[in-house]
Amino acid sequence: MIAVNHLVHSFKVGKKGGERNIPVLKGVTLEVRKGEVTAILGKSGSGKSTLLHVLAGFMKPDSATVRIAGQETTGLSAAEYAEFRLEHFGFIFQNFQLMPGLTAFDNIALPLKIKGVPRGQRELNVLQLLKEVGLQEVADHYPNELSGGQQQRVSIARALITEPPIILADEPTGSLDSETEQDVLQLIRSLNENRGTTFVIITHDEEVAAIADRQYRLHDGELVKGGKRHAV
Amino acid sequence: MLFKDQIGFIRQHMKRNRLRTAMTVLAATMGCAFLIVLASVGFGLHKTLMDELLSNQTVTEIQIHGKEDSGEPITAEEQELIRQLPGVDAVVARSYLESPSRVLLDDRLNRAQIILTDAEQEAKAELDLSAGALPSSRNEVIVGYHFAENLLTEQELIASEKGESPAGYRGDLIGETIRLEVMSSESEEPGPETWEFTIAGIAEEPAKDWRVDNLVLVDESFREEFPVFTAPEGEEVAPYFEINAYAEDLAAVEAVTESLKTEGYYVYSVTEEMTTMNLFFNVLKAGLIFVGTIAVLIASIGIFNTMTMAVTERTREIGVMKAIGAQPKLIQRLFLMESAWIGIVGTMLAVVISFAVSALVNQLIPNIVLNILAEDGAGAEGMNIIVSDIPWQLVVIASFISIGVAMVSGWRPARKATEIDVIQALRQEL
Ligand SMILES: Nc1ncnc2c1ncn2[C@@H]1O[C@H](COP(=O)(O)OP(=O)(O)O)[C@@H](O)[C@H]1O
Ligand SMILES: [Mg+2]
Repeated sequence: MIAVNHLVHSFKVGKKGGERNIPVLKGVTLEVRKGEVTAILGKSGSGKSTLLHVLAGFMKPDSATVRIAGQETTGLSAAEYAEFRLEHFGFIFQNFQLMPGLTAFDNIALPLKIKGVPRGQRELNVLQLLKEVGLQEVADHYPNELSGGQQQRVSIARALITEPPIILADEPTGSLDSETEQDVLQLIRSLNENRGTTFVIITHDEEVAAIADRQYRLHDGELVKGGKRHAV
Repeated sequence: MLFKDQIGFIRQHMKRNRLRTAMTVLAATMGCAFLIVLASVGFGLHKTLMDELLSNQTVTEIQIHGKEDSGEPITAEEQELIRQLPGVDAVVARSYLESPSRVLLDDRLNRAQIILTDAEQEAKAELDLSAGALPSSRNEVIVGYHFAENLLTEQELIASEKGESPAGYRGDLIGETIRLEVMSSESEEPGPETWEFTIAGIAEEPAKDWRVDNLVLVDESFREEFPVFTAPEGEEVAPYFEINAYAEDLAAVEAVTESLKTEGYYVYSVTEEMTTMNLFFNVLKAGLIFVGTIAVLIASIGIFNTMTMAVTERTREIGVMKAIGAQPKLIQRLFLMESAWIGIVGTMLAVVISFAVSALVNQLIPNIVLNILAEDGAGAEGMNIIVSDIPWQLVVIASFISIGVAMVSGWRPARKATEIDVIQALRQEL
């Protein structure tokens, strides 16, 4: 599903003139298989988010070949990548990134709106998904009226609403307490099993990584160990 | 994104900042209303003077004062040639009898103005009758609308000199025989020579109610007989006092005027005055619109600020939209639509307010001005003053400027929104 080959990236820091190059990713090669949950594990600052940002097309790496769903993505323009994201990706962020002015229902419907799906169809799809993630009760609540766990469920539903083949999750449980964390991880697992959606989860937490079918470990911008684990 | 959803998106955003949006719309409204009202004064005064110009003379009339390099009076053949020009309906040559004369009917007398003319051409030009018919023989005449009320007995004459207004002749004038007395200014012993005429028709009432039409139109052929027109041996007497050509309609006036000029005639028509007047007022209007546009530009600073703040405030949300897969073009369009909306609503309100202000100004100011003039003793009662006029062209121009400026001032912020970096935006605190 995703094949990354020799991904190299470094950030320029410091004032103009006295810039230094800080290498963040030093030749990362990895593979994400269709229908699997893949975890990328690493300490804070190891370059996990940078890797995800490259996959998502939020930034261009110094060099790499990236193939996603059969398409070479490093050469795509900003507009082309936006379209590609709308088709192929759903996103789950550590701090949920919900629209404060929209209800849970409308937050989930947002990607469909952007896609240009008419209202009737949209409402049908959202209602269906609300049931699946257990949010029927709070559909008309605004984000500030929801608990952290509920907000993350809304954001997971938003990621799934367009039925993308791949979900990219950056520290999806980073803002949750351990009990809610387990609920959310269970939800991810069951969605993966029921829908066959591919998940890429970035985390610093061994426990979170434990739900994955496959784990990669990043250390100082290099993969130190990769391997297949069986699902819990 | 469907257009309907784009509208909904903008509405939702503006709702969240209702007061700020309202204030920006207010600023846009004030700027645009100022522009319209200011320029409307130029349009109003132009209209007032134009109406005045057009109502004070026959607009299709082209006065012919003479011909270049001849100094010679215009001959009957030349008149005939002018008559043949395309767009010309009639050429009227009127001679005013200047020597003392009076018109008598029984015991009544009228010091009417005697004019020699061709009644057929007069009728083609602008003469309409309120009674009777055009003359069928040279001894028949047409009298002016006010001829009867100026036909007075001796007592009535005295009364009218005292400032009273006597009724004048009440009967039917058609078919009556009048006697004309003309004092010869040339003869050593001035004494009246007399002619008799039958009244065939009475002219229509003049359009302007203050105008008095007390004329007697006598046939051309009497030129030879009236003493004043009979030139003594060896002397030149101008045979025509006034020659006017009449165009088919106002649109033809300019062309006829031009072709007469190229033929070498000295002419004057209303288009001459209209050209200068239009030039003056068009410059004035452009100037007023320019000054008004400055107000719109000041309001646009408000729109720029509002939109810049809107973009800054929503940086994180824009980041999320882009992350989900919204096109940069869509983001730009949403913000442009928002500033356009401010411009459109502001303009619509401004148009409504401008019409109200314009109506108010037209009610108040002419009354005040006329009162002041009346106190000064200057009579301007007949004048119809329009201070402010808003033609549809002004509404179109002002809308164009106002909405255009709103969109231009929203352009930079909208552009900035598309350039927002997703990673930076998502890092922002909630
Ligand atoms: N825009 C940037 N400019 C400079 N340095 C950056 C930038 N983004 C990330 N870094 C640096 O790159 C390294 C990796 O960051 P990141 O990928 O966010 O790590 P992780 O997600 O694993 O915590 C960090 O040392 C961070 O300071
Ligand atoms: Mg990170």
